[in-house]
Order: sequence, then C-alpha cells, then structure tokens
Amino acid sequence: MDRPLSSGSGFDGGSANEDDLAAVVASLEPDQIISTKEKHHCPRRKLTRAEMVVFWSLRIYLVFMFGVVLYQIWSGVR
Amino acid sequence: MPLKGDPTPSERMATSGGVVISHEDIDRAHDRDRVSEIRAKRGTWSRARLLWLLVGPGILVMLGENDGPSMLSYAATGARFGIGFFLPFVVLTFVMACVVQEMTVRLGAATHRGHAELIFDRFGPFWGWFSMVDLMVGNFLTLVTEFIAIRAGLGYFGVRPAVSVLGAWLVLFVALMAHRYWTWERITLVAAMFNLVFVPVALLSHPHWSAIGSALVTWKPFPGVTPEIILILLSNIGATVTPWMLFFQQSAIADKGLTTHDIRFGRIDTLLGATLAALAALATIIATAPLFAHGMSTGNFEAAEFAQALRPFVGNWGSALFALGMFEAGMVAAVTISTSSAYAFGEVAHRPHSLNLPFQQGKSFYLVLILEAAAAAGLVLIPGIPLVYIVLVVNVIAVLAMPPALLFLYMLVNDREIMGDLVSPWWANVLALAVVAVLVGAGLLFGISVVAPHALTLIGGK
Repeated sequence: MDRPLSSGSGFDGGSANEDDLAAVVASLEPDQIISTKEKHHCPRRKLTRAEMVVFWSLRIYLVFMFGVVLYQIWSGVR
Repeated sequence: MPLKGDPTPSERMATSGGVVISHEDIDRAHDRDRVSEIRAKRGTWSRARLLWLLVGPGILVMLGENDGPSMLSYAATGARFGIGFFLPFVVLTFVMACVVQEMTVRLGAATHRGHAELIFDRFGPFWGWFSMVDLMVGNFLTLVTEFIAIRAGLGYFGVRPAVSVLGAWLVLFVALMAHRYWTWERITLVAAMFNLVFVPVALLSHPHWSAIGSALVTWKPFPGVTPEIILILLSNIGATVTPWMLFFQQSAIADKGLTTHDIRFGRIDTLLGATLAALAALATIIATAPLFAHGMSTGNFEAAEFAQALRPFVGNWGSALFALGMFEAGMVAAVTISTSSAYAFGEVAHRPHSLNLPFQQGKSFYLVLILEAAAAAGLVLIPGIPLVYIVLVVNVIAVLAMPPALLFLYMLVNDREIMGDLVSPWWANVLALAVVAVLVGAGLLFGISVVAPHALTLIGGK
C-alpha cells in the first residue's frame, strides 16, 4: 500500500478523488475488486466418470436418508 | 470524478485507471489498509492487534453453531447419559469441525469467492442447485429452531412469545444497520461470547473434576448401542458440523477481504472458535449431568424446562444463566444462519452480497436475510404447529446433508486451477475423507436404528 486512504474518504461517488480510488485499487488484490470478480468467473470443470458416480451415490444416499427421517417423524406422530 | 449513472449488478460508483470501484470495495480497502499497517510493525502488541483485526469468521461460525438445538442436544446428553463417553466424543466432533472449516479458510482466502458461487462456477447449475436446496432447507428449519430457543430462553423470565420472537428479529435487523461488515462482525462477536455463560452454570453444579478427567481420557462408561444413543450421537455431530458453516465462513472470509497472507490467522481464528465452543458445549453437558445422577426423567424437556429442573442443583442464578444462554445461542445463530443464506443467494443470483453494502445497493441481500428470519419467526408464533419434531430432526438432517456438501468442498480445495499451491496436502485429505466416512457411517447407523432396530444387536447393540 503506497498511500493510505484518506480518513473517512467520504466515498459517495461525487466526493471521492482520483488518489483515493487509486489507493483502493492498490489496497485490494485484483480479484477482490467486485467489478473484476463479476467479469471473470472460474471456468466450469469437467467431471470424470468416477466423480459423477460419487456425486450421484451421495445424492441417492441423501434422498434415501431423508425418507428415513420422514418415516421416523411419521412413526413418532403415530 | 465521472460517475456511472447506469446501475449495474454491483451498483458501481466510480472508476480509477479503468477499474470500476464500488462502495463495497472502498470499505474493504479501508479494512485491508488497517491490516497492512499493523502487519508492517513488529512486536507482540502488533501481533495481538493483527490477530484482533483478522479474527471473526472462525469464532462466529463455531459459536454460531452452538445454537439452540445444539445446546439442547448437549443438555439432553448430560441429563440422560451423564458425562462418561460423551465428553471426549464432543471434543472429537469439534476436531472434525476444525478439519472441515480450515478448508473453507484456504478456499475463501485463495479465491475471494463464496462457497455457493464456486460450486455453481466449477460444477455447473445442476449440482449447484442441489447444494443450494440442501442449504436453504437446512437453514430454514434450523432458523425455526433458533426462534424456538429464543422463545424458550426468554420464556423462563416470563417474556411473552410474541415479544421475545419479534424482539429478537428486531435485534437482527438493527445489527445490519451499520452497513459495515466490520461493525456487524464485532457486534455479533460480543453477543457470541455470551455462549460462555454455560461455564459458570457448570461450575455452580459442583462437578467432580476427577470424573471429568477420567471420562476425557478413558471414554467410559460407554452407554451401549441403542436407537436413542445413536440419535443423540447424531445430534451431537450435527451440533458441530453442518453445511451452513461451510457457506458462512467462506463467504465471510471473502467479505472480510482476507487474502492468502492471512491464512495462518484464519486457522487461529477457527481453532480459537472451536476451543471456545467446545468449552461451552462441555460445560452444558457437565451442568445437566446432575439430572442424570439424580435419575430425573428429561425425555421431553425443552430449553426452559432444563433451566427449571436445574434450579435445585445450580441455584436461581445458575438456572437463569442457563435460560439466558439458550436465548443467546438462538439469537447469534439466527444472525449467522440467515446471513449464510443471504450470501449464498447473492452469489448464485449474481446480486450484490456483502455486509458492507448500503441498503439501497444490497437490497436483495438484506431482504433475503430479513425475510427468511421473519418467516421462521412467524412460524414459531403460529399456535398448534408441531415444532418439537423440527427440533428433534434438525441436527440429524444437518449430519445427513453434510457428506454431499463436504464432497464439493473436498474437490474445490484440491482443485489446483483455483487453489494453486494451496491445495490440501495428503494428510489433510486423509483427515477430510475420515470425516466424510464418520458422517456417512453415522448416517447409515441412524438409518438402521430407525428401519431395522433389531439389526443393532449384530453390532453389539441392545
């Protein structure tokens, strides 16, 4: 950080000066700046067959176990 | 300074050297500026100040997870089974929580993105929506239980349900008014520290220190394998490791602006939070152990009933502190859980999502947060709704939903394309996979105990 932000830089769009804004850019890592983050998203990765199997297995496990929870509630109510 | 009049998703406000700067960037830059200034100094005092600046998400997530149903689960554990096996077991669950949450620290600091956003980006909307539905369903049910805890805790002092629930919702609303992550974090941290009121309650119960020491070392007496024990084991696991914690801590780290230079402090933050939360959890078990020792039936107790039953053992002050602790547990968790939902929604809907945003710019973020809490609070006030079932199953649901959530986390934290050299070392992967195995095993054991309880005898059960 070369120059600290002026205390309470009063950033309301109209009152911020160029130095303050440059200091903001210097303070943050490039991908911390919101506009940059919005422009650059992490690319989609391709799942391998093994990964897909694990994903689906855990999804089926979850659905099944939710069924068990519902059964437990139903038997509790009875 | 030329302004962009056209509001965009981030409501940008100005540009510098071609880079568009938003209000959120300015606030975060102020925070980073303070960190850089302190980091440049040497000495113990500067280190301590740096730690003060960088702690927050880890303590909040751990103490936030010591929520209404969690404290109720610990209270039920002590009252029904004493300290024996469960004291070291709860310590183990916090070790598991540390292993899991450390991964979110690295992920948040390395990518500066929230968990939901990364899942959608890297795995696509199909898997992304699955994880979002898991999160939102779990969060809403848990939020309902937080308001039940708030109602029960304040009910001990004679506060009417409508007043306690609406009052808590207003506190949540007011905490957001600072429109500053830092201020919100400090207010919530102070509130979270009240979770430690369970420690004096434990001391007032005159615990047997030698029995506690022996239990922590020997894990005995082991209570056996019954459906009831399995349910309480699952509840205790769900009291420390849940999906919302992953989403919250990673998003909070991104919102706070932590970078890879801060990972060490992020780990300390997580460890500190786990230590404080474990202390409060163990204290709750110890505090209610006299009910077990005196053979009192506590099967259907709710929070306020525990406080009343404890009065002969811990006195008026002790039972009042217990009730206050229940209120605090629900209050802090209501704040952190609704925030985790709002972060996730903003990340997925590509809407501004930060506690640094003024209300006008972060309208959707704040509305999700406030409305989700309002819906949960409203549900608690509807007469005749069987809320007791939600309290019973909410921790169980958290444990069941955790393995798929952990799989996303495991794959993201080992993704060299986004993590670079910060991918998990082999031993961290072994620990993470061990946590997944424990959670899946506990879930399957629960399934067996419900569907075919007689099968438990095959594994030494009763």
